[in-house]
Amino acid sequence: MNRLNDTEFQSKKSKFVPYIMSGHPGYESSIDIALTLQDSGVDAVEWGVPFSDPLADGPVIQEAGEQSRKGGGSLRKALKGLKEAREKGLEIPVVLFTYINPVLSLGFNELILEMKKADVDGLLIPDLPFEESDELRKLCNVEGISLISLIAPSSNHRMEKISRLGDGFLYYVTSLGVTGTRESFSDLLASNISELKKTAQVPVLAGFGISTREHVRYFQDISDGVIVGSALVKFISERQQELKDNKTKKEALQEIKVFVQDLIS
Amino acid sequence: MKTSIKFCGMRCEEDYLKAVESGADMLGFIFASGKRQVNSEEVALWQRNKPPHPGQKLTGVFVNASAEQVLETVKKAGLHIVQFHGTEPPEELKAIKSASGVQVYKTLHHHKEAVNEMAKYEGTADGYVIDTKTSGAWGGTGRQFDWEAVPAYTREAERQGVPCLIAGGVNTDNIYKLLAYKPSGIDVSSGIETDGKKDERKMSEMKKAVSKTYQAPDHLGRFGPFGGKYVPETLMYALEELEEAYDSIKNDPEFAKELHKEMKEYSGRPTALSYAGQLSAHYGGGQIFLKREDLNHTGAHKINNALAQALLAKRMGKTQIIAETGAGQHGVASATVAARFGLTCKVFMGAEDIRRQELNVFRMRLLGAEVIEVHSGGKTLKDATNEAIRHWVANVHDTFYLIGSVVGPHPYPMMVRDFQSIIGEESKRQLSERTGKLPDEVVACVGGGSNAMGIFYPFIEDEVKLTGVEAAGKGIDTPEHAATLSKGRKGVLHGSLSYLLQDEDGNITEPYSISAGLDYPGIGPEHAHLRDTGRVNYEAVTDKEALEALEDLCRFEGILPAIETAHALAYVKKKAPGMSKDDIILVCLSGRGDKDVHTIQDALGEEIE
Repeated sequence: MNRLNDTEFQSKKSKFVPYIMSGHPGYESSIDIALTLQDSGVDAVEWGVPFSDPLADGPVIQEAGEQSRKGGGSLRKALKGLKEAREKGLEIPVVLFTYINPVLSLGFNELILEMKKADVDGLLIPDLPFEESDELRKLCNVEGISLISLIAPSSNHRMEKISRLGDGFLYYVTSLGVTGTRESFSDLLASNISELKKTAQVPVLAGFGISTREHVRYFQDISDGVIVGSALVKFISERQQELKDNKTKKEALQEIKVFVQDLIS
Repeated sequence: MKTSIKFCGMRCEEDYLKAVESGADMLGFIFASGKRQVNSEEVALWQRNKPPHPGQKLTGVFVNASAEQVLETVKKAGLHIVQFHGTEPPEELKAIKSASGVQVYKTLHHHKEAVNEMAKYEGTADGYVIDTKTSGAWGGTGRQFDWEAVPAYTREAERQGVPCLIAGGVNTDNIYKLLAYKPSGIDVSSGIETDGKKDERKMSEMKKAVSKTYQAPDHLGRFGPFGGKYVPETLMYALEELEEAYDSIKNDPEFAKELHKEMKEYSGRPTALSYAGQLSAHYGGGQIFLKREDLNHTGAHKINNALAQALLAKRMGKTQIIAETGAGQHGVASATVAARFGLTCKVFMGAEDIRRQELNVFRMRLLGAEVIEVHSGGKTLKDATNEAIRHWVANVHDTFYLIGSVVGPHPYPMMVRDFQSIIGEESKRQLSERTGKLPDEVVACVGGGSNAMGIFYPFIEDEVKLTGVEAAGKGIDTPEHAATLSKGRKGVLHGSLSYLLQDEDGNITEPYSISAGLDYPGIGPEHAHLRDTGRVNYEAVTDKEALEALEDLCRFEGILPAIETAHALAYVKKKAPGMSKDDIILVCLSGRGDKDVHTIQDALGEEIE
């Protein structure tokens, strides 16, 4: 059992889950940001791991990952930072977002062990479709960590199988292509998501390209909540100097809080 | 484990003789009513005229027959196995088994409870046949069921320690697809018939298919543990669509004809096989033969695959192809075929490579392609590949991703290998016509590994040594090399599991080689598998060794090879002197070196007068 599968998260209406990159703009400041997000009233946080070849990400998150890596960011470091954030009072559910190669490099067992220590609730690996995930899914099950599945508008006949595997929540990818902000979304999404919700045993959250208050409202109406990544990461990137400087940090964090609360409101 | 094969439904003596000759493991006779029904006297007579080969098991198929009838037939027809095709309970099988001493098989019809049904026959059945469920008829349906279920049946049978044959609609077109699910046996009846008669050509094709000891990839695109499909869910649909399209053309004579025509009339195949007499004499050992892929249109083997994939793209109704390129060779091949077939083409190329390969960039533009500069990451091939994949994800509906090597997610490594296999097939035929022999060793350079897979694959079941040569750059003990198999660790890049050059955190590192075409941090998953199983030997040679071999080929044979190819030649230079004069060493001369003249000049300039 983990916080994602608690009644509180499962039954909360209009969930809002932000994504941030660990170690971006710096190791300490990303921990501060996670805590600020909690203060802003978000329902969970996705904690990104930097990787050299992030296939599913657009330029904003790629850039954030590069910066994190330059500052020594890695899977191990992300888990260490998370442990520290937990010690400093981070209590909301956390989903570790990483590509598969850093996981293979660390080893499945080591990853599970470290995730337990950092009190991780969910694991999301965008380049691990269900065909390849059996072994890791079993290990996660034993430890009560949710392996989050992605569903795309093009999943078609795969949708039923994926929704059966749903644990924690289902991540519905709202557009083809990579992460990053977008102007518009396909009209088919609403019917597609409502179709999925019929069979899903866990909440369906929408993500990829959601960047404005209007987007958030639209998707909260048709799904169980939203995930916002690039828009927030971009906002953070624009304030990296202020976030790294102790004198201006407080103010920058306050700005992030306002930005997020504005998206939720 | 080898898959066994049962040819079923012999109707006449002629059918029976063909089946015996084919070397099938089991021969089946139907003793139930239907068009293939025979009687025990006939079967006994055929055997008197021509007994089965030792080890061939004669199987009688019965549907809810009485015990007396079964026992009498077993005796008269000399059966080894009784196959119960009706609703016979385990007790009935047991009774026949103890009364006659023959083995008993149970046929079950594919449905969701069938695996549980098998459990009821545990300890009684000596084997199973899984057939398609039909209403009203017992077996012999000739229709296939969903083979995704095959592994579950095979597992249950393995647990019981008995074989499980898959029946229903297996034919010469789909047998390889079925074999990818690794069944312990296959049962065919209508699939080996033409106009109601057993067809010896189809039988021999089937037997050949199951006799192959090398069968990879499996249905998930796995070569041993390597390969697979590690891509975001947004791409899975595109890969499934591609897999389906590739399956549909694999055995399509129309597609083969069209491709063959292009290969011959546009690209200039078959390419020559040149005996390198002076070079062989100079090295003083084995006889060196060169498969001249440099003589292809655009100057390298890359066009073989590009032509085939572009034709496939057209078949699929795609209007745009995209490709990644490092040095520009695959980009040029893609731009070329796009022009040839009237498709638009976008080539993704790292900004750093664009700077280094100005001429190829110009060539691609001249051919009408759009060259897209990639600024992410290290701005080289792997980043260009990432960007191409990202573009594909967003434009799957009208875009075909033309991958240039045996890398990427399934089905690419298999498909590119198959399209490049023409190199090995031609070489094998040409060499045998010239010398009457197989080569003793086949050598090719390996970056992603497409020319190597192309020349190795047709030799994989022969007693021929296969050697792949990686780029050791400035030395494999320096940080500057591209020797993925020698120095890499297992990991996932660009959608498949293989060996990779990576740091301790699992980030992919930049490789180095003087040859831009070998400068890739990964390697095709099939090479990883062939290395780990010991079938192929992999060596690494340095920039310096490659350049020396390149000079030798220029001077002794009048051929300027690509620097990539020169790596294979550098290995030959070390190996040939130790071989006997009767030994043949076949080298894939994958590309010509015109594109490398500047690099070669920079590296050697001062040494050449």
